[in-house]
Formats: sequence, structure tokens, C-alpha cells
Amino acid sequence: MARQQGWIALILALAIAAGALLASFPLQLGLDLRGGSQLMLQVMPAGSISRVGREQLEAVKEVLERRINGLGVAESTLQTVGDDQLVLQLPGEQDPSRAAKVLGTTALLEFRAQKSGSEQEMQTLLRLKRQATAVLNRRQARADAAQPGSPSGSASPDAELPDEALAKSLGQLGIPVPPGSSATDQLELLLAEVNSRIVALYEPAQLTGKDLVGAGRQQQQAGNAWDVTLSFNREGGDQFARLTQSIAGTGRLLGIVLDGRSISEATVGPEFKAAGISGGGASITGNFSADEARDLEVQLRGGSLPLPVRIIEVRTIGPSLGAENIRTSLVAGLAGLALVAVFMVVVYRLPGCVAVISLSLYALFNLAVYALIPVTLTLPGIAGFILSIGMAVDANVLIFERVKEELRAGTTLIRSVDSGFSLAFSSILDGHVTGLISCVALFALGTGLVKGFAVTLAIGLLLSLFTALTCTRSILRLLLGYPSLRRASYFLAPPASPAGASS
Amino acid sequence: MTSPVAIPPIRFFRVSRYRQLAWWGSALACLLSVVGMVLCWTSPSIGLPLRPGLDFTGGTQIQLERACGSDCVAITVEQLQQQLQRLRLSAAPEGGAAPNLATAQVQVLDGGRSLTLRLPELSPEQSAQLTDQITAVTGPLVPAGTSVNTIGPTLGDQLLRGSVISLLVSFAAIAAYITFRYDRLYAALALLCLFHDVLLTCGLFAWLGLLRGVEVDSLFAVALITVAGYSVTDTVVVFDRIREQASLLRDLPVVDQVDVAVDATLTRSLYTSLTTLLPLIALILFGGSSLFWFAMALTVGITVGSWSSIGIAPTLLPVVARRR
Repeated sequence: MARQQGWIALILALAIAAGALLASFPLQLGLDLRGGSQLMLQVMPAGSISRVGREQLEAVKEVLERRINGLGVAESTLQTVGDDQLVLQLPGEQDPSRAAKVLGTTALLEFRAQKSGSEQEMQTLLRLKRQATAVLNRRQARADAAQPGSPSGSASPDAELPDEALAKSLGQLGIPVPPGSSATDQLELLLAEVNSRIVALYEPAQLTGKDLVGAGRQQQQAGNAWDVTLSFNREGGDQFARLTQSIAGTGRLLGIVLDGRSISEATVGPEFKAAGISGGGASITGNFSADEARDLEVQLRGGSLPLPVRIIEVRTIGPSLGAENIRTSLVAGLAGLALVAVFMVVVYRLPGCVAVISLSLYALFNLAVYALIPVTLTLPGIAGFILSIGMAVDANVLIFERVKEELRAGTTLIRSVDSGFSLAFSSILDGHVTGLISCVALFALGTGLVKGFAVTLAIGLLLSLFTALTCTRSILRLLLGYPSLRRASYFLAPPASPAGASS
Repeated sequence: MTSPVAIPPIRFFRVSRYRQLAWWGSALACLLSVVGMVLCWTSPSIGLPLRPGLDFTGGTQIQLERACGSDCVAITVEQLQQQLQRLRLSAAPEGGAAPNLATAQVQVLDGGRSLTLRLPELSPEQSAQLTDQITAVTGPLVPAGTSVNTIGPTLGDQLLRGSVISLLVSFAAIAAYITFRYDRLYAALALLCLFHDVLLTCGLFAWLGLLRGVEVDSLFAVALITVAGYSVTDTVVVFDRIREQASLLRDLPVVDQVDVAVDATLTRSLYTSLTTLLPLIALILFGGSSLFWFAMALTVGITVGSWSSIGIAPTLLPVVARRR
């Protein structure tokens, strides 16, 4: 009896502790339950690095963290997965396209001088670039104007690029045109090719974004376009001065190249022949929109990525879908539990009631452990929880069936209960161990969603061993201490004989 | 009782009397499953034993909710597909033209209120453009009800490989555990049951994939592993009882030992399956669409598992034991 009371005291203390835990540490809900975006990034090997290791991953993560801070998304988390992946979670974010754009690019900024003797070719390419850009801008303005609410842009018919001329330029540059592509698509293809050809006309990089100490943006004095301003460290400033000095007054251009695309070409006037552009500052006139300028600023401040990344998974879920998921899972979970409780009480009577109490404790302990570890609760996680309840009930069924058998064989009540627990133990253990083996396999080899399921199921299995073998047993033994409850009919339906209808 | 040695009273029935029936039933079900998977495999639109979902193929799936409440203007799949082909998306970030949306699969659900689009892989920017531009035919959308999932092809491969490997590893680990706790014969029979249960579950989903277009995702793999663990647990309980009474009933033929053990554990097997099925049925009824097929796979697997642990594994034991 004293031992039973000890156990009961422990169980009560645990229940109170679990309740307090739940009250002070709320459960963490996954993005599928509260809405938001999740991006998975794969770090790609490049250059001399053929396999991405822990070190490179951390280096990439550091840069990405600086960029995320620059974006200013509340409560975002960035975690490493395995050796070469990162998961970014943006709770409440409905449109991950900006984050994807800012995080997904390497942002390697290079300043390169034009090769001498390439002036002729450069002129042709630049003219094409200006034409294509102008036409694209005008199309964009027209598309904006077509949408209600935006100011109607009055397009001036300046540099026109008729379809025939476009086709001719494409042909000259050897760009295959995908069948059925629109004029806009073709213009973009042309622009991309022109930009990469321009890059080919530059010397290797003499100065990169590594030497930046800051970046900012400012609106151009005329028009809506934005410039991105840069400030170099001392070394970078000197380098920039030398670079500009070398091409000043020659007519060769200074190319500003971002991730292999030429974003701006600048002339350096003869007045800088003496000392180059000094002062450690520069600005990129790339005709950026306000958003583009801000994103580039964030990327340049965060530094360039040591290795390129690719976005391999994007999951976005609206908050109302998340709330819907919670509601339906909650209804399903509660309905399932209620059905199980009714079943247990009807079939097993007094022990059934005890099982319902210990299963309620089981659910409470489970939730407390989720809050304690903490386990982020996702939809598959809830499924794992609901399934583990089934397993926990199974343990009780195994025990009570054994108790019934012993009673039928004519054993006394107390002895039946004791041998019921000890005889059922090996089956319960085997079932739980095989379940845990599956969980380990799932956790070690599975991915995000699967891991959530494995974690909640494993916690459920471990706790179920505890509650079935201690909670159910202690409460049952405690109740059997009261002589009025010590009746076989509370455990077993009376034999179905016409005489023994009531006892 | 016709048995020459005293056999403990049988409360329900002697399972060995019906073993031919059980074996033929299971054999037929296995055959149907294999046929379903072969049909799936040879079907040009699937090409795999089961119809793989977004998780394994890669691509973008967009789920939209129209902001029209109960009086939605009817919308057809054709209208949506035409609009998709008319869309203007920007070029992919890695260069290359915008993806071709002619292959998109469109589903209209809930009487036109919600839409599901299966598309080639789109960048987040392209997805945003698509949701913007599709409003031309759908009317305004509920932003909070939008869900966009994009899985890159490399991740799809990775998920598929991870699922298959974790299935095989957990099977092997379970077999090792039973060999350690019981013996090789029991382990072999438990594994046979496990394959039986997994095969039938896969077979059903192969047919569902063929006839109803149901796809399997990583949650399905989770369901299979759970079914495997559950099936083994179920079988082990019966074997545990056979072993426990082996010394008591030493003089009886194995067939009778099996009958007694199955009879004694029958209530437990049925009740356990029932109590596990109750929450699952609740999930099917109230759990919403995201967990529907997961709960369905588990329900089928656990039902089949309970069947095989009563009708297949124990009745095969005398046959295999005699040969040894």
C-alpha cells in the first residue's frame, strides 16, 4: 500500500509539473499550423570545392543570416539540415518571392576594366542593350498603365526595336529562340546574352565586393530610378582609384558585374587621369527600382556567398488554412479519444475507467514533453500523437485481457491484477521496442515532415510504457484497497447464464 | 473436442479449420495488388508501381481559395487551363525562359470554391505572378487561404530515396529484433506478414492511383513504416502466447497449440485494432483533406495487419515447423 501511495504521489507531482510547464511554455506550432513560408536551400559545390562540408555550410549560413536581418522579417529562423542544406522559416510571410530573390543569389560584385581593343564590339552591344532595355521598360509601363489604379505612363516613342530587327539581332548573336515565345521573352533572352557578352569583354576582376564596408541607396535626381552607393575600406578605395586611373580618358569602360551579369557600364572622364577616383566611395547607376536597390543593398551589406545556393523547396501556407488544419486535427483527436474512452469503459468497466484516467494523464505528459524539448508541432506530428494514443490503449488492452483470463481461471482479484500486469509485460515491451525501432529509422533517414512524425510517435511510445506500467497499475491497486470496489463483476461481465443475472 | 490429448477449452473458434480459406483469400488479394502495381508501372502516365506525388516528382502545387463565399460563379477546368497558357511569367532566375504551363493539371474542389494547380517547378516570384494573374478568371482570392508548395527535382529524388531506405532499414532492424527475442522461424513469418500487409496497402493505393488519380507522398511512406511496425507487434503478441504455453501444451500437435494461442489472444487482437482504428476513423471523418489519405493508408494497413496476424502467420507456423 505504502509503495502504491508513493507512486500515486509521484504521478500527481508529475501531473502538476506538466500542467505548470504547459501553462508557462506554450506549444510551438509548425508553419503548416499557423501559416507562413518555408524555404529550403541547397548549398552547391563550386570551383575547387567538390563537396560541401560543415565549415562551408556555416560560412554560407553566416552570410544568409546577415541578409535576413537586413530584410527585417520578424521571428524568422535559419537552421542547418545535414551537411549541405539550410531551412529558413518565415512565420506569417505569405509571399516568399522577395526572400527567395535576396537569399538565392550569390551577390558577387566585381569591378572590371574593359579590355583594350574591344571598343568597336562594345559599342554595338551597348546600343543593343539600350534599345532592348528601352523597349522592355515601355512595355512594362504600358502593362502597368493597363492595370487600374496605377498612373498612366506616357511612353515616348524613342528607341524602337521592330520585330524584324529583333529577330535579326537574335540570329546574329546565335541565340536559339524557343518556339511560341513572345516578344518580351525574346527581348529578355537578347538582353541576357548581350550582358554576358559584355562581361566577356572585361579584364578579370581587380576589385570585388569583399572590400566593401557599407552600401546604401539614393534616388536619382531626375526620374524615379535609384542608385546603389558603395563605400570601400582603405585597401578597396586605393584599388578603385588605381582601377579608374588606368582607364580614365581612354574611352574604355568600367564594368560593374554582379553574379556574372553586367549591371552597369561607366565611363571615367580624363580629369581622373592623375589620381583615379579617390575617396573610397562609388555609386552604381543601374537604373534600379526602389525594391531592387534595397535588395541589392541588403545583399552587398551581407557580403557575397562563398558558395552558390539553390532553392529546392518552398512551402507557403495561408494562416486560415493553418487554422483550419489545427481545428480539424483537434476535432479528430478529441473525437478519437472520446470514442476510445467510451469503448474502454464499456468493455473493461472499473479498469476501463482507470485506463481513461491514465490515458488522460498520458496525453497531458505528452503535451508537456512537447513544450519542454521543445517539439515544433506539425500536422504529421499530430498524426504521430494520435497514433501513439492507439499504441498506449493497446498496452492497457493487453493487460486487462490478461486480468480477465486470470479471473476466468478462478484466480483471486488482487492476484489476477498482478499477474495480468506481469504476463502482459513482454508483449507490451516487444510492441513498443519494434515501434521505437521504426521511429529511429524514420528519424535518422527521413526528412522534415517525416522527422516530426517520428519524434512525436517515439515520445508517445516511451511515455506509454511509463503510464501503462505505473499509472494504470498504481491507480488500480489504490482502488482495490477499498473493499467495496473489490468485486469481480467490476472487472468481468458475469457469466451469461440465465440464473446468474445479477450478483 | 476430437483431439486425443486434453486441449484447453476454445472460446471462439479453431483458426486452423479455416486456414485454407485464409490463405486463398490472402493469395488472391496479393495477386490483385501485384496486378494493380504492374498496371501502374506499365501505364504511360505513371511509369512507377505507385503514382508519385509532388514530394517525389518535384514541381509546384498551388492551392487557391476564391473569395466568393457560397455563391461562386461556376468555373471549368478548361477555362483555367486556357488562362494558364495565356499567363506571362518572368524568366527563371537561373536564366532560361518561363516554364511551359500547357502540362498543368487543374482540379476544382468544393463546388468551385477551391482550386488546386499542379505545375512544373516555378520560382517564388513566378508563383506570385501566377496567383496574381489567374484572378482574371477566378475573381478575387482569399490570400490567407493560399498554399504554394515547390519541391525541386533534386529534393524529390532525395525524399524518394530517403523513404525507401528508411522503409528497408526499419524492416531489417525489426527482423533482427525478433530473431534476437524469439527465433529465426518466427522472424521469417513475422516478416512475411509484414510484406503481406505492406503489399496489400501498396496494392490498394496502386489501384486508387490508376482509377482515382490518388498520389502517394512522404506521408504515405510514413504510413507504410507505421503499418510495418504495427503488423509485427500484432504478430509478436500471438507468437509470444504460443511460446509461453509451449511447455504447458508440449504433447499437443503444433496445430492445436496455435489454435489455443490464437483463440486466447483473439479478443486482444480485435480490441487493439479497434482502439487504434477509432482515432484513425476520426481522422478520416474530421481530419480534413491533408491527412485523409494518410489516415486511409493506416486504416487499411492496420486492418490487413490484424487479419494477417490472426489468419496467416499462426496458421503457417505448423506448416513451416514440420518442414524443419
